[in-house]
Amino acid sequence: DGPIQYGNIMYDRRVVRGNTYAQHTLPVSAQPDPLEIQRQQESRRRAIARKRARDQFRPKSPEPVQGRKHIDVQTELYLEELSDRVEEADQECQTDAFLDRPPSPLFIPAKTGVDVASQIYEGDLFDFDIEVKPILEVLVGKTVEQALLEVMEEEELANLRQQQRTYEELRNAELVEQQRLEEQERRHREEKERRMKQQREILRKEKETAEKIAARAFAQSYLSDLVPSVFGTLADNGYFYDPVERDVEQGFIPWLMEQVSTELNRSELGRLVLDGIIRDVVVRRINLFNTINQAEAEFEGEPEAMKSMAEHLEMGV
Amino acid sequence: MAFTVISAKYPTNVDPTRTPLAYGDRAIPRLNRELKDENVIVRQRAVMALSDYLHDPEHIADALRLGLGETLKICLSDSDFTVRWKAVECLCTMAAYAIGRDSFLKLETIYPVANLFEDRKDIVRKYAHMCLLRISETPPGAASIVEAQLILPLVEKLQKELDEIKELILDTLHFCIQEDIPSALEARAMQVITMLLKHDLAVIRGKAARDIMDLSVSLEGKNMAVECGAVQLLRHMLVDQSAEVRAKAAGALMMIAITTKGKYTAIHSLAIKPLTDLVDDINSEVRLNAIKALTCIAEAPEGRRELLQYTNKIRNHEKDAIAAVAKAAHIAVKVITWLP
Repeated sequence: DGPIQYGNIMYDRRVVRGNTYAQHTLPVSAQPDPLEIQRQQESRRRAIARKRARDQFRPKSPEPVQGRKHIDVQTELYLEELSDRVEEADQECQTDAFLDRPPSPLFIPAKTGVDVASQIYEGDLFDFDIEVKPILEVLVGKTVEQALLEVMEEEELANLRQQQRTYEELRNAELVEQQRLEEQERRHREEKERRMKQQREILRKEKETAEKIAARAFAQSYLSDLVPSVFGTLADNGYFYDPVERDVEQGFIPWLMEQVSTELNRSELGRLVLDGIIRDVVVRRINLFNTINQAEAEFEGEPEAMKSMAEHLEMGV
Repeated sequence: MAFTVISAKYPTNVDPTRTPLAYGDRAIPRLNRELKDENVIVRQRAVMALSDYLHDPEHIADALRLGLGETLKICLSDSDFTVRWKAVECLCTMAAYAIGRDSFLKLETIYPVANLFEDRKDIVRKYAHMCLLRISETPPGAASIVEAQLILPLVEKLQKELDEIKELILDTLHFCIQEDIPSALEARAMQVITMLLKHDLAVIRGKAARDIMDLSVSLEGKNMAVECGAVQLLRHMLVDQSAEVRAKAAGALMMIAITTKGKYTAIHSLAIKPLTDLVDDINSEVRLNAIKALTCIAEAPEGRRELLQYTNKIRNHEKDAIAAVAKAAHIAVKVITWLP
């Protein structure tokens, strides 16, 4: 039939679509579909082929020999009339009157297997629930106790931390407040110091200025009578002079004094010279007298010597 | 089959990973002995059993009395990782209680625990840090950590460790910083923590902001915070989704804004507007810190001028339910409306 045609089922005209309640099941044309016919023929052919194939495999008795013919024969002892009618015979049966059902006998099976015996000794049988209770209590108790301890520990720590945190909050706030106030205090103090220093500066300056002014005033007043006093002093010291008077004073008087002193010096010199002469004479005479005394004392009997001495003395007057 | 007679055999060992506990007060001495055993398996089992046993405070008291503190200290330097891990966990559990902390400090167990910071296994490091965190929560503990000069290693670890551990370190540093600020500043804590302000996890951001607040209590801290540019980052965190982060950021700003320089930096980074929004936040801590920050900013004339517009907003909170917030609002209004 050629290659297999692939088609989209959506676009296949053979696919029934939509509501099938009112659909016509048979095709409109009286003529059977050629495809249908072909298919039926094919199926018939196939059935025949199949039958043939089956017959081939079925064991059959061999074919009759030449001149003979196979025929069906009944080999039973008695000839039977084969008919449609079946022989019938009636038979009755009646149960006994109803009795109570007897009890089923006990089913005792035949004994099979090995005999095994078991004996429960004292203390073997126990109630698990009762026995396990104390052990379980201990186990669970210990575990829970341990767990509780650990949880309490952590809770304690958590509570401590919480308390610490609250405390720290307050502490920090207070600390800040304290430091801020300190800072404020310091700043105010510094400000005050600065202001005071400034003020002091100002005062000092004022004082200085006042002093300067006072000094200036004083100086002025002091100097105000400077000029007259200067003039007075100058006048006192003779810087303002009468030239004639000056000249007399400067020139004449010194000359006069000089002359006077010269004169006096001369007379003093004369006197000195005179004094000198007198002294000289006196000294000589003293020396002479001393020598005479000496010679008298030493040599009394030498009138010659004395004479010579006397002569000497006389000469030497 | 249950007999009423007590069996002569040992009960079955349900859990082979731990030694069965001896009865009553023999438990601790036995565990103590087993912890010093040479066989690794025995030690491991002993320490696993111990870590569960120690959750009860009475047992902790007994254990410390019988010298378990010393034994655990030795176990910290064990070669086997499980023994170290569980030993630190036991110490951690003990450190949650006061007696545990006392014995910790007395036996100076801080040093071996600090050595575990360098351990290869992250669980061991995590428990070591958790242990130190619990110790640092009390003042003597924090003092001893500072004395052991652990602030510098902690700050260094902060840069390289995993996030979980970063959280623990930030918490530990929170307490240590409160104890001794100068050495923390010397260890460059401010710079490192400022970097963490940009972290993805809200928890870490919040804790970093809180640590910056602690560091800024001192004057050098405040100046350094301004230098490191923390003010900008904190201002961005004011609009974060997590209330915790907002609260701590406002807190840090309030500390920094006390100095004049801090105030002006805050004003220039336009922190006033978000802070005024936070004044109406649901969380009480956020409100408190925001109002306080605004109070500090209001000390400056520019701040005061700008805040005069928001005075009414703050005045509404003078009747707040939380006493601290009401008081803070009152003070804030007073400062804003102060005339020289």
